[in-house]
Amino acid sequence: MPISSPAPAPDRTSDAAMTRRTFLRSTAAFSGLAALAASLSPLRDLSDYTSVEQFLQKYYKELTPDEMAKVLKRIERDVERQYGIRPHVRDLRPMDGVEFVYCLNLTRCIGCRKCVHACVAENNHSRNPEIQYIRVLRLPHGSLDFEKAEHHYDPKQVPEKGFFYMPVQCQQCKHSPCMKACPVNATWTETDGITVIDYDWCIGCRYCEAACPYFARRFNFAKPEIPKERLNPNMAYLGNRPRKQGVMEKCHFCLQRTRAGRYPACLEVCPVGARKFGNILDPESEVSYILREKRVFIQLKEELGTSPRFFYYFDK
Amino acid sequence: MIQATRNYLFFVWRCARIAFVGDWRYYAWMGALTLITLLGLNAYCKQLVHGLAVTGMSDEVSWGVYIANFTFLVGVAAAAVMMVIPVYIYHKEELHDLVIFGELLAVAAIIMCLAFVTVDLGRPDHFWHLIPGIGQMNFPASMLSWDVIVLNGYLLLNVHICGYLLYCRYQKKRPSKWFYIPFVFIAIVWAISIHTVTAFLYVGLGGRPFWNSAIVGPRFLASAFTAGPALIILALQVVRRVTATAPAGPTARSQPAATAPGVVRLRDAMLEDLELLAHHLPELASVHVADRRMSLAGAAVVDVPKGDVILRQGAMDNDAYFVLSGRVVVKREESGRSRIIRSLGPGEQFGEISALTGALRVATAIAEEPSQVLRLPVTSLRRLMQTPAMNEVVRERMRERLMITDRGLLMLRSIVQVSMLINVFLLANEVFKEFYSGNLHVASAKYLFLGLHGHHALVPWIWTAVALNFAAMILLVLPVSRSLKWLNITCVMCIVGIWIEKGMGLVVPGFIPTPLGAIIEYTPSLNETLVCLGIWAFGLLCYTVFLRMAVPILQGRLSKAAERPPVNGLISAPAPF
Repeated sequence: MPISSPAPAPDRTSDAAMTRRTFLRSTAAFSGLAALAASLSPLRDLSDYTSVEQFLQKYYKELTPDEMAKVLKRIERDVERQYGIRPHVRDLRPMDGVEFVYCLNLTRCIGCRKCVHACVAENNHSRNPEIQYIRVLRLPHGSLDFEKAEHHYDPKQVPEKGFFYMPVQCQQCKHSPCMKACPVNATWTETDGITVIDYDWCIGCRYCEAACPYFARRFNFAKPEIPKERLNPNMAYLGNRPRKQGVMEKCHFCLQRTRAGRYPACLEVCPVGARKFGNILDPESEVSYILREKRVFIQLKEELGTSPRFFYYFDK
Repeated sequence: MIQATRNYLFFVWRCARIAFVGDWRYYAWMGALTLITLLGLNAYCKQLVHGLAVTGMSDEVSWGVYIANFTFLVGVAAAAVMMVIPVYIYHKEELHDLVIFGELLAVAAIIMCLAFVTVDLGRPDHFWHLIPGIGQMNFPASMLSWDVIVLNGYLLLNVHICGYLLYCRYQKKRPSKWFYIPFVFIAIVWAISIHTVTAFLYVGLGGRPFWNSAIVGPRFLASAFTAGPALIILALQVVRRVTATAPAGPTARSQPAATAPGVVRLRDAMLEDLELLAHHLPELASVHVADRRMSLAGAAVVDVPKGDVILRQGAMDNDAYFVLSGRVVVKREESGRSRIIRSLGPGEQFGEISALTGALRVATAIAEEPSQVLRLPVTSLRRLMQTPAMNEVVRERMRERLMITDRGLLMLRSIVQVSMLINVFLLANEVFKEFYSGNLHVASAKYLFLGLHGHHALVPWIWTAVALNFAAMILLVLPVSRSLKWLNITCVMCIVGIWIEKGMGLVVPGFIPTPLGAIIEYTPSLNETLVCLGIWAFGLLCYTVFLRMAVPILQGRLSKAAERPPVNGLISAPAPF
């Protein structure tokens, strides 16, 4: 039998196949990981990061006074780091026996939008992208049909003949649809009638924005930008402290002022005295007088059952 | 207990392994999906850094394609129930395995839903605020909190049902009814609830007259039960094409020669023949001799020459057959093409489906080589199946063969048909109410269908949807859609039409005009579109992986019995599927 036994060729080929398979497999795994890393690369620019402290921060209503003090300190620190100004952040609570109501005299309003600007300055609104709480509508005489409203009227001089002006901001509803909509209780109505937002609790789902019948809520689509020199250092936790990217905000009747006994900024700046603000539980207050004495006043979209604490009225 | 856990973990590991094995088409498909998913992930990372400003959304239109896709996919997930009802309530066997495909689609759809709501969040890092116990859940006031509960519950229910049934099939164990039937019935009610709750999300908003309409809930269900089964019809055909063309055995490729049929020899069966069969079919040995003898009444042994047809698809006869020697190939004609389903050797059965269900022959059996087969009348087969072991093995094999039939697909077609009629009817109701009364609340509908004050971004979209839906409805009621080619075209029309109608056609116009009458239009940005594509690709990736695991298990090719034991903690290379 001269035939020599053949070399174990199958083994060698299977070895080679094995190495090739291992090689292919590791190449695939490596390129997969590389692709994953590449797709995650934008995260390097993540500047608005959340600290562990901030991530674990409890819900506003569950914070003890001690914890609240710590949170306020943290906010002051954060603001100072970002703007170079040490703010004064307070946690102002509602006053007993107070329920705020706003009355707006449509006969007087001339549509100058000074209230809009005062609000932006007072409440540390983002200037880029622009956020405003008050929207002034120009309506033709004789109609309250918002489809006829002009939002971006730009005449040389106001008031214009044949039109009246209607500033709309948060109506501070008694039965607020936004509060009902919020899945995490990040927005609620306080005993003084102000609907507030815990900016550190909001998850940014914008369901409240869809629920609001008054277009009163605003979302921080990008990181808010406020010029350092324009920062208002008098701040409140539920009020005008700078907001974060990705959370809701809205008019809160300037609670950093009103809960300390001052008028809202929009009222103070109004050149024609169209805006009245006060405590409805006090029969001597201006708003009590208006609601008692004036014949015609309007709650916007009254049929929705939201019962706003914001009343529009006409003098004559 | 520990052993059971280990077995289970091994099963999970085995399923995970198989997801990475496939032919080049599988790798190409998965590679492409992974690539698109990563592109989407990249776009989402950009959104995380720069905020939702990179989307087309604004304070005026604060929800866009994310929520539109979410709404559509909740419907797809809910529609899986339409597969379950015929099977468990009307006992339609031909849909039995399809249920698992449907429920797996539901799982994939819910995963996509959750992804779509997550990318829509401004602060995903605050997500834990939703979790009851550690966070604050505004339940029951907020409809969104209801949605969170029902969606996650539905996900768990379906994962449980599919996982349990597949694990039992893997172990070749009969599933215990108590472990899944109650959940199946809960899932049926639950499926309706997920879509109703999603509709209530919109319906509950008094400030948005376009959504604040009682008909939205029923419309959602009708459109879901149109688009969902339509999607399943398409998915099942892909599964069928990918799985059924694999060669069934080493000899399967050789087509039976079309020679003149030889002389068929036939004689009465004897006890010895059953003994011979018992060599290949051990379960037969457990049948009592008396039963075996009785079963011989009317039974015959047939010698079949190569290439002879033993039974023909569509025929009315109903004997059952066992192969005694030789090989028999089983072919099925589906939508004009003939496929070899499997090739059977000694001890294996065929023809039992018609024998036991009384249905027409579902396939054709041809002798692949000169063979000897045992022909049993129904009564004889039933007598043999009185022995539990025999019953088990015959039923099990039968189930493996009841894969995706044209009858099953046509059954789904009738679901799509009825739902589409209802859907179009309800849409017509809505349109009538909006336009006939002509009050100021018609603004959104006017914007959608006709354009408002010179703005008409959605008009071409909605009319495309209306045209597609109407055309699909007409095709569905015509007999032409009984052919799969037309049915597929119709299904695509349904899916696209409803995606537009329900997504862009419902979510976006609800915001236009704003409650203060401003008209700000919405177009999704490129980044936003990439995120959507990424999520869709990820969902398809999940569904492909699920099917990759489920199909071999359902076909009995991946089972505990077929496993080689693990060596040194490593798993031996999986058998090629």
